[in-house]
Amino acid sequence: MATQTVDTSTTGRNIPWGLIGRISLVVFFVLFLAVPLWNTILEMIANPQLLLRQLIIGLTNGAYISLIALGYTLVYGIVELINFAHGDVYMIGAFMSLTLIGLFGLQAATPPEVRYPLMLLILVITMAFTATLNVGIERFAYRRLRTVSRLAPLISAIGVSFILQNVGLLWGYLRFPALNGVMGSNAVAPKSFPNLLPTQNLLEPLQAVFGEGFRVRFTGKDLIMIGTAVVLLGALYFFVQRTKLGKAMRATAQDRDAAALMGINVNRTISLAFLLGGALAGAAGMLVGLYNGTAVFNMGFKAGLFSFTAAVLGGIGNITGAMLGGLLIGLIAALSDQYINAKWTNAVIFGILVLILVFRPTGLLGENVQQKA
Amino acid sequence: MSTTTPLLELRNVHSYYGNIQALKGISLTVNEGEIVTLIGSNGAGKSTTLRTISGIIHPRSGEILLDNKRIDHIPPHDVVKLGVLQSPEGRRIFPRLSVRDNLEMGAFTRNDTAGIAEDMERVFDLFPRLRERANQKGGTLSGGEQQMLAIGRALMGRPRVLLLDEPSMGLAPVLVEQIFNIIKEINSQGTTVLLVEQNALMALEIAHRGYVLQTGQIVLADTAKALSENEMVQKAYLGVE
Amino acid sequence: MNPRIRAGLAGGIFGALITLISVDQVVYLAGMLAGTTAGMMVAYMEPQKKWLDGLRQGIQAGLLGGLFIVIAKLLRAILINPLIGDSTDLGGQFMLGLNGLVIATIISAIFAVIATLPRPQDLIGRYAMVAILTLIYPWIDQYFQYRFMGEVIPVLVFVLMALGLNIVVGYAGLLDLGYAAFFAIGAYATAMVASPHFGISLSFWLVIWIAAAVAAIFGVILGAPTLPLRGDYLAIVTLGFGEIVPIAATNLDTFSLSILGFKVIDNINLTGGPKGINPINRPYLPGIGAFQSSQPIPWYYLILIIMIFSIFFILRLRNSRLGRAWTAMREDELAAEAMGINIVKTKLLAFSMGATFSGFAGAFYGSYISAIFPESFRFEVSVMLLCMVILGGMGNIPGVILGGLLIQFADRLFLPQLSNMMQSIISSPQVQLPSSLSFLHELSFASDFRLLLFGITLVVMMLLRPEGLIPSERQRMELHADEEPVVEQQQTEVYTARNQETV
Repeated sequence: MATQTVDTSTTGRNIPWGLIGRISLVVFFVLFLAVPLWNTILEMIANPQLLLRQLIIGLTNGAYISLIALGYTLVYGIVELINFAHGDVYMIGAFMSLTLIGLFGLQAATPPEVRYPLMLLILVITMAFTATLNVGIERFAYRRLRTVSRLAPLISAIGVSFILQNVGLLWGYLRFPALNGVMGSNAVAPKSFPNLLPTQNLLEPLQAVFGEGFRVRFTGKDLIMIGTAVVLLGALYFFVQRTKLGKAMRATAQDRDAAALMGINVNRTISLAFLLGGALAGAAGMLVGLYNGTAVFNMGFKAGLFSFTAAVLGGIGNITGAMLGGLLIGLIAALSDQYINAKWTNAVIFGILVLILVFRPTGLLGENVQQKA
Repeated sequence: MSTTTPLLELRNVHSYYGNIQALKGISLTVNEGEIVTLIGSNGAGKSTTLRTISGIIHPRSGEILLDNKRIDHIPPHDVVKLGVLQSPEGRRIFPRLSVRDNLEMGAFTRNDTAGIAEDMERVFDLFPRLRERANQKGGTLSGGEQQMLAIGRALMGRPRVLLLDEPSMGLAPVLVEQIFNIIKEINSQGTTVLLVEQNALMALEIAHRGYVLQTGQIVLADTAKALSENEMVQKAYLGVE
Repeated sequence: MNPRIRAGLAGGIFGALITLISVDQVVYLAGMLAGTTAGMMVAYMEPQKKWLDGLRQGIQAGLLGGLFIVIAKLLRAILINPLIGDSTDLGGQFMLGLNGLVIATIISAIFAVIATLPRPQDLIGRYAMVAILTLIYPWIDQYFQYRFMGEVIPVLVFVLMALGLNIVVGYAGLLDLGYAAFFAIGAYATAMVASPHFGISLSFWLVIWIAAAVAAIFGVILGAPTLPLRGDYLAIVTLGFGEIVPIAATNLDTFSLSILGFKVIDNINLTGGPKGINPINRPYLPGIGAFQSSQPIPWYYLILIIMIFSIFFILRLRNSRLGRAWTAMREDELAAEAMGINIVKTKLLAFSMGATFSGFAGAFYGSYISAIFPESFRFEVSVMLLCMVILGGMGNIPGVILGGLLIQFADRLFLPQLSNMMQSIISSPQVQLPSSLSFLHELSFASDFRLLLFGITLVVMMLLRPEGLIPSERQRMELHADEEPVVEQQQTEVYTARNQETV
């Protein structure tokens, strides 16, 4: 076999691309973004009430984004899979809750003492439904593929996402009389939720303190959205930090083989992660449906994107990270909608995602995934 | 220590990783109350043996018996429930769980809260250093402390058979002695031990019987004393010229 | 199962589906396709040496396939035609079906016989047959009045793109979920230099190269940030870019740029916004004049030429050092780097080479439709292309072409035809639809089931046959490694107890 001389010279090879990339980014920022950013800040300060309202919107965004983000982070932490279909489980939750609302005949006119308990019941049923759905998806479409290749489960997840979207599209055909017309007349159009949440401004009393010009709104809707999310997130946090099963889930995420040696049923624990994530996503779906008053089959894509970005921002696999990330992304989205333009917000969030993954993939609070032994 | 049926027995076990055969017909016995050690160099198949016993890998042929009942094809969590617990190679403690939580995980399959609390006290008595660090995250412990945690975690399951995979790995000699003394102590309190070790010297000092493993096969089986006096063993594993 | 039965079944089901949902004359096309499928499959599964054996197996497979066609024709005549007013003359329909069967058998036999030739004549013969069938298709279409040409051309465009995606996903192993972005870039580049939009009006023959070059450059730009990423993160970032490009295209109808606060560019219409850009220049050939939308034939041959050129180029790439570097990188990046492969260059070249073909496709498509809209470049398109590559078989060209044709066929022909047929059935006076089924009036298979088609394809393929319909050997080995027969390892015993005595 003839030997060939290998070119080991390094002249011209060691161009510091990473450094060039970073410097170009800084230059780019200074040239094009610094001044507009400054102007935007001035704009924000000029109208503090508007800013305050955006912060409140940011909080409500953060509420539902955190709920969905937790699903992404729990699953990624335990099986290192980006559950592409998760956003669509959220969408199915919205549709399911709408169906139940129709079934129970809830309307704006329903008296509160009937309305709220029923809504709570619907929430529970919806969460149970999406939890089971998520567990089923894992069982059927992901479990066997874990051993095939790294990418097979991800590709399957994309497939499941599309299947679920189509289910959402066809859901509107469920126009049974029992549902009281809640699906509307056009099967594939977006659906409307009846106005079931209180909308009066809770901050009105503060006008007495700050004067008539004080028009910051914080409605009952906002309170319920944020409050429900906080309760659910708190419950999840407690479960994961304090209960045996919760710790077992964390243990499995940290070292799967060692967890198996403890007698932990790894498959069941993985299902548990999917169950919890699915339940939270379903709750988010119902909350957003009621809050925005609408549900459409492709709402999962945008929500999924935002939530996944939130999970990565906080540190994938990290539960507090998902909550923090959700809050941040919620705020950023609200500010972007108001001060840049809603048509660019998706691109902004995508941009953030790309920046994080390239420059700080472990996120703000550090990631929490399998130790490679 | 002679009983009629051994507590743990392997009969002609063949184990594979994919298509590569790691164990080629292993047969060994562990009687109740004994310390049996499995020695051999890197890659000989020692850890594979323990992983097969614990059910992480299933043997392609052969049998594993616990109290004369087959356990070779049951899932790992069932093996644990039957009282076979392992302190794995490399410790494998849960880095972001506290010491206490790690120990709790060891008792995962148990439901008797009183008994668990009792056993945790016992573990802390055995390893006072762990009591000091009870609320610290496992990943912040030193190597020796992690090894103690790993053994303690396994003890939390109230094992009938304790499998120890290379407890001496990466530890300073002083710590190694300490650990081995504790292992002797654990055994004297009634726990049967199957000890896999590269450090043949220490292993043979505390064991009753031993097996020598080479490229997946048992090549020698004898009392620990006889093994330590065996010329081949001395040359290959005890560093005697 | 007997390979002839298998092949006949595959071809037959294919042909039967086509026959079932289409009007009379399509049965000839069904026969052709069924025959090609059956003939190719049976020869692949059960290679023969003697031409007589090949003839026999081809005829058998083709007959079985043709039989399905006949049955489908009859079923259609009995069940469907009465409702939609087509011929119910069973005798005539049977004859038509029989024609289809004859064609299927002949074509299957031809392919099977060619396969018995020694290589390379076998390959040449097979490709020649496919080439002949493809080249004469426009005349078949015209003769039988199929009017499918308008649909066939976009199909070929997407197949071309699938071939480009195959470079990135199949050869280099980089899961690119935003591939449609390069399609958009190629199309927009074309629109910007070959239309009234900016007043630049270059010849299409120049523009197609410009579009490809621009796409290739963007391949590098969009690929660069993904360099440090592995598997799933890489996929998500590519997805991100795949979404940012159409968003930018939609929003940049008012583009302003200010540097350090000074407005440099004020409010220009860069991309035409949601309405897109139109019209776009057409190619011009002396003798034929400018290509028209109403005359699909020149377009058809143009896209065929582009495809043949592309396939040739891709094959050269695959068999080059770069191609082998891609394979090494796909299998184990770290090991490849340790062997001296420049991973950065290899990855960037994968993206840019893949993007180039998308650039060609985008230029052609923009010119063909004479208009482009940001809506045509969304995530769905990227996923559809991924479906094609996965269905057919990652990393090999015939597989990707087959997968592409199947998906496109299902999406553009099968679903809409099914929809039409159903609509005809339920609106026919003889059918009384119960009110609970009245929603069927609204249901459109074409638009309401597309996502399901893509989704089910991906999930089913991953679960059952991740290597695709026509797997490359290597992929099959990679994906089913744990099912291989046990190989006894003979290891030399360095030191065993038995040897003790001899020491």
